[in-house]
Amino acid sequence: MSTTLLIAMLITMIGASTPILLAALGELVVEKSGVLNLGIEGMMLTGAVVGFAVAYTTGSPWLGIGMAALVGAAVSMIFAFLTLSLSANQVATGLALTIFGTGFSALFGSEYTGKPLELFKSVFPAGLAEDPYLRLIFGHSPLVYFSFFMVFAVWWFLSRTRAGLILRAVGENDISAHSIGYSVIRIRYGAVAFGGAMAGIGGACFPLLLTPQWVEGLTAGRGWIALALVVFAAWRPLRLLAGAYLFGLIATVELYTQAAGGVFRIIPTELWASLPYLATIGVLVLISLGRSTNANAPACLGKPFEAGH
Amino acid sequence: MQFRFEKRAEPSRIMLYATPVAAVLLTMVLGAIIFTIIGYDGIGAVREIFFTPLTNSLKWQDLAVKAAPLIIIGVGLSIGYRANVWNIGAEGQYIIGGLAATGVALLTQNMSGWWILPLMGIAGIAGGAAYVAVPAFLRVRLKVNEILTTLMLTYVAVNILNYLVFGPWKSPTSFGQPQTVAFNESQSLPYIIEGTIVQAGAPIAIIVALVAWFVMSRTIFGFQINTVGSAPKAAAYAGFSANKTILLALFISGGLAGLAGMLEAAGPFGRMVPQFPSNYGFTAIIVAFLGRLHPIGVLFAGIVLAITFVGGEVAQTTIALPNAAVGIFQAMMLFLLLAGDILIRYRVVRVVVAKGREAT
Repeated sequence: MSTTLLIAMLITMIGASTPILLAALGELVVEKSGVLNLGIEGMMLTGAVVGFAVAYTTGSPWLGIGMAALVGAAVSMIFAFLTLSLSANQVATGLALTIFGTGFSALFGSEYTGKPLELFKSVFPAGLAEDPYLRLIFGHSPLVYFSFFMVFAVWWFLSRTRAGLILRAVGENDISAHSIGYSVIRIRYGAVAFGGAMAGIGGACFPLLLTPQWVEGLTAGRGWIALALVVFAAWRPLRLLAGAYLFGLIATVELYTQAAGGVFRIIPTELWASLPYLATIGVLVLISLGRSTNANAPACLGKPFEAGH
Repeated sequence: MQFRFEKRAEPSRIMLYATPVAAVLLTMVLGAIIFTIIGYDGIGAVREIFFTPLTNSLKWQDLAVKAAPLIIIGVGLSIGYRANVWNIGAEGQYIIGGLAATGVALLTQNMSGWWILPLMGIAGIAGGAAYVAVPAFLRVRLKVNEILTTLMLTYVAVNILNYLVFGPWKSPTSFGQPQTVAFNESQSLPYIIEGTIVQAGAPIAIIVALVAWFVMSRTIFGFQINTVGSAPKAAAYAGFSANKTILLALFISGGLAGLAGMLEAAGPFGRMVPQFPSNYGFTAIIVAFLGRLHPIGVLFAGIVLAITFVGGEVAQTTIALPNAAVGIFQAMMLFLLLAGDILIRYRVVRVVVAKGREAT
């Protein structure tokens, strides 16, 4: 295999991983605060349609990403209000958010079907990306660099800052955190909003980074895979990066083998298309075989906090 | 004037049953407002989605057709949710149930007889239950989260369906259309009312709900499900095996979703096509919650959601409302229902601020 092809594959893999990585990073912070938001898929779809619509009408992908983050955070507030202020069941509310996002994106996306969008390409001068090796460094969309930055930022926030420590305390023992004077509910609102913004950006990656068109339900379960990744990563940002790239790799292999044809034709396309989902199940099984990782789960994950009422 | 929540000594039974009704009514009010704001005929949308299917008697048979799978799947899911197992992949089990029934139909293509339909039904149930078996065993053996595994398998089920209807099961006489051959008379559900489109699915749905009601409220098994779900420690003391209960609850929900798939394949569809996944599996989640996880409640909730499905189709043609709007109405209903849950355990009291004193 030539280096050029290999590098092209790597770039595809990194791109394909980015939406999952961003959404999973957001969910990681949410879960660290003790909240389980199953609505990622819905928030991603919302972000995707908003990102597409804004980038298409204004011509600015930056604005599209910004609005996707904003609207992602806004819809996550429905979830936050129900589960945090009204102590509604988090599993059911997360599902409701996904159903809502699916309907929302289908309603507002239909008018963009078949309309062309410009991909959010590298901002570096094209000359820099001509050499295959330099392309590996300079050839990505700004969204990819943003995802690198966020991996580091989330890691740094959670493990090196006081605010991160408080957020983790709220997720590990909400009653103690409450009794020493931290507002559990307010901190969790903040975490959920961050998760919503990240899922929104992750969703906007689909039209802006991967395929520049509107397809209904374009996230195809990536929000759920992001949820599985957080478990896979044992709530650690750096392992999340590795996990996301593993999934990107599967998607890339699928893409290239289908293009290559020949011997790969023996395996039906439907099996290739099922691979990311089967791999997710496989990964979940592997994790539960190693028993140390579940001990890493935030102790209050998914449990409502009611001391405030 | 200020309000705050005060914990009730006992959960309110009135609120338990009043909040689903209130959620549906509030959905109409809020829906009308929101859809007006975003530039549609909001009041017209609510009228067409919620009322036309009831007032127009021509639509009643559509209601029966759409409600049947929602009720059957919803009853199964509600049993699982009561045991605190979250099967959200009913859509996948529905597809596999439909495929299993189709498999029987293709094998018996040139045969006839009364035994074919029951065999297809058994295949459907077995298919749905088998498809949930993997998540079920992973859950009890390895504590793998069933929410994620059941959902992942739904995407796989769609791929299996596509593989079969585009490949080995494609009818040789379909002129390239991805579909199986049409089912013969022995493989199709009978019509229960002459001259309508109502097939055997509707009465079966009612029977399923009644049987589930009996099992859940009158048998040890129902008690076991409820106890394992709501008080696992008490269940362990009582000698109930949590794992066995979880397995059974998942098999029941998968099996019923598979049965719904068989009834749809042998009923409205009459053959297997790529359009077979109709979102019933996901909508049934709303049905289960709106029905308060109670089989009779699910029966009514299934009809309510069927009304919105049929009404959505009406609104599409009469006031050009996109079909996706129905999804938003349905999600809104679930949001409002979940928001209302707090009124079961808490009451709203007015905070009276006396002069010179702080409110407590």
